[in-house]
Amino acid sequence: MKKKKVLSVFLATALIASTLAGCGAKSGETQSTDATGSNTDNTAAATEAPADASAEKVTLSVLAGQSTTDAGIEDMIDEALAKKYPNITLEWECVDWGNDFQPKMQQYMQSGLPDIMIGKAQDVKTYASQGILGAIDSTYTDRVLDAANTNVTIDGKVYGVVYNALYQGVYYNKDMFEENGWTIPKTQEDLQKIIDACKEKGITPFASHMADTWSIGNVTMQFAMNDVFNKTPDWGDQFRAGQSSFSDSKDFQTAYSYNKLIYDNTFKDTFSIEQTDCDSRIVSGEAAMKVSGSWSIQNFLDINPEFNFGIFPFPNQTGDSKLIFEPNITIMTNASSEYQDAINCVLDVLTGDKELAVEIYDYTKTAAMLKDVTPTFTNPSQEDIDAYAAKGQIVDVTLGNNQLVWGGFQEENAKDIAAWLQGDETFEQALKASDDRADASSAQ
Amino acid sequence: MSGRKKTNWNKTMFKQYFLLVLPGLVIFTIGLIVPMLMAVRYSLTSWDGMTKEKPFVGFENYLSLFQDSDFLNAWWFTLKFTIGNTIIQNILALLFAVALDKGIKAQKLYRTAFFVPCLISSVIVGFVWLRMFSNVLPAINEALGTNINFLLFGDGDTVLSGLLIANNWQWIGYWMLIYLAGLQSIPAELYEAARVDGAGAIRRFINVTIPMLAPAITICIVGITTGSLKVYDLLVASTKGGPGRASTSIIYQTYTTAINGRQYGYGSAMSVTLVIVLLLVALIQVKELKSREVQA
Repeated sequence: MKKKKVLSVFLATALIASTLAGCGAKSGETQSTDATGSNTDNTAAATEAPADASAEKVTLSVLAGQSTTDAGIEDMIDEALAKKYPNITLEWECVDWGNDFQPKMQQYMQSGLPDIMIGKAQDVKTYASQGILGAIDSTYTDRVLDAANTNVTIDGKVYGVVYNALYQGVYYNKDMFEENGWTIPKTQEDLQKIIDACKEKGITPFASHMADTWSIGNVTMQFAMNDVFNKTPDWGDQFRAGQSSFSDSKDFQTAYSYNKLIYDNTFKDTFSIEQTDCDSRIVSGEAAMKVSGSWSIQNFLDINPEFNFGIFPFPNQTGDSKLIFEPNITIMTNASSEYQDAINCVLDVLTGDKELAVEIYDYTKTAAMLKDVTPTFTNPSQEDIDAYAAKGQIVDVTLGNNQLVWGGFQEENAKDIAAWLQGDETFEQALKASDDRADASSAQ
Repeated sequence: MSGRKKTNWNKTMFKQYFLLVLPGLVIFTIGLIVPMLMAVRYSLTSWDGMTKEKPFVGFENYLSLFQDSDFLNAWWFTLKFTIGNTIIQNILALLFAVALDKGIKAQKLYRTAFFVPCLISSVIVGFVWLRMFSNVLPAINEALGTNINFLLFGDGDTVLSGLLIANNWQWIGYWMLIYLAGLQSIPAELYEAARVDGAGAIRRFINVTIPMLAPAITICIVGITTGSLKVYDLLVASTKGGPGRASTSIIYQTYTTAINGRQYGYGSAMSVTLVIVLLLVALIQVKELKSREVQA
């Protein structure tokens, strides 16, 4: 009997011990993260950071919400950091920005934020308003293009380092356009002519991958930027104030209806194909155009390095569309991290190491947001981008994304648009569904 | 004297069992009961999942649920998926089990082949079938010059069929093994007696096999039903709840509402309804099916 008793106590103890050991391992890791560093203000410690960093070993936790193009840059950053600050190690947690960044942030806001968070510029408004982001010192923000700092500045303080940017619009097969004598469309009528010409030649006018519902949400915001926010820059605020609605706004209805134009002129199996398949089809000449963003460039050039493509803004009703600019990788810091010195060292490497910056821009095929840094990869659409930039025909999509947030609003609206295109909802129902989720449209 | 000894022995045994159960009970309480109670608490608030304040709104979330077409559509899809799975998986698993119980050739090979898919993660199954429907089968279609619509995930009208195919492909082998074990435990004398009484193969199946398999049927029906009501990972990897909202299950809707939509309180109310439905379904099924079970 005694043996049984001893055995049962032993088994119970072993189970409890193993459970605690499992939990303890995690807390041990956190402790190692928290064991060193001084509790200094982010901005105050900025200039001293590189000097302070030589002493103690520090491990910083990083939550990286990545786009498909970004996966892999963490290794480049680790390598550059190890060269300049070998005492600092980054512990990466890389997640998909669209699906997992917000859930992770929500989780960490309860249990303790990572030291560094990498998201998009639109995240700054969401999280800075919660008082959890540290203000970035001008030592680092001065290395970033002024235009990029605008939308991550709240009450005069900059809460994010915007590292690169994506351009969004209609990517087109330049060779195909030249061969057929098609010119860049500026109005809907011009666009319709190209669509008709494509159909005559048996070419699919638009490549699209509506199986990825996010792509519907993305293009809808592109349309809205040129048909809604172009005219009414505070449309989102008016919407929340009850002064406008999707059901009443002709402009937003037009923006929604462009999805139908795409759907009627794209692959039959658009709801079954994903981005890579879609991109390969435009590269192979199956389709002439694709409403997309710079994230497609990586695919285009991977599939065919010789693919000759350009970009133009999707024509709006008034013929004055602008190319969309989206600040992408944006580095934010934890206001209450004990490692402000080490964080500043990381910011120093990210904003000061031009070799690293070029490596990242070339890899992600994105535009530089750091001053005096130019990517070396060949971007056939750069000529078009430069032309629009020279004419001032570029607009920052953060304006729209800050007013109508992605998570819980734009992405939900995209599902209703997809349901409408599939015939499962009426156009009016899709608009009303957007109106009904007005409360979820703002980050605050 | 012997009575007192027995009481002491019972107490000792109780202590020992309690000690053994304790770790599991603690983990179960911390991991399941406490979060469930917290979900009930949050469901009475309008908490967004981020702020410190959790404003109390009473039963407002529950009242809103019944006017929320997305929530009701998610339940409708979940019910169709559950009913489809329960019927198809039970019938096919039982048929396969009966076939394998007849001692056909290469029985072990078939058993393994049917069982292997359930060892694969549902996420992988989702990816596999996404590729099958989007790339592999259409390519075969093209090669053969046929015109069969394999793009099941790309249309709201066919997405349920596609998901049922994927889910049944994964789980039929698992339930088949349970039925097979049940079949092999039926005494041969019962069949012999039925045969002597003049019962044919179909009558023996209905009057002997089915009643004797009742415990296995209970396990399979309850398992398939509750598993299907909780479908999530298969959807994440394949349709992402689409096209549109055509394959959004109640758990998928709960997750996107609570986390992506920053409506933690409202999402918690959704999850509470799911727990209640799961408990009710399991209780009713177990009670009803148990009453039909017979002992050999």
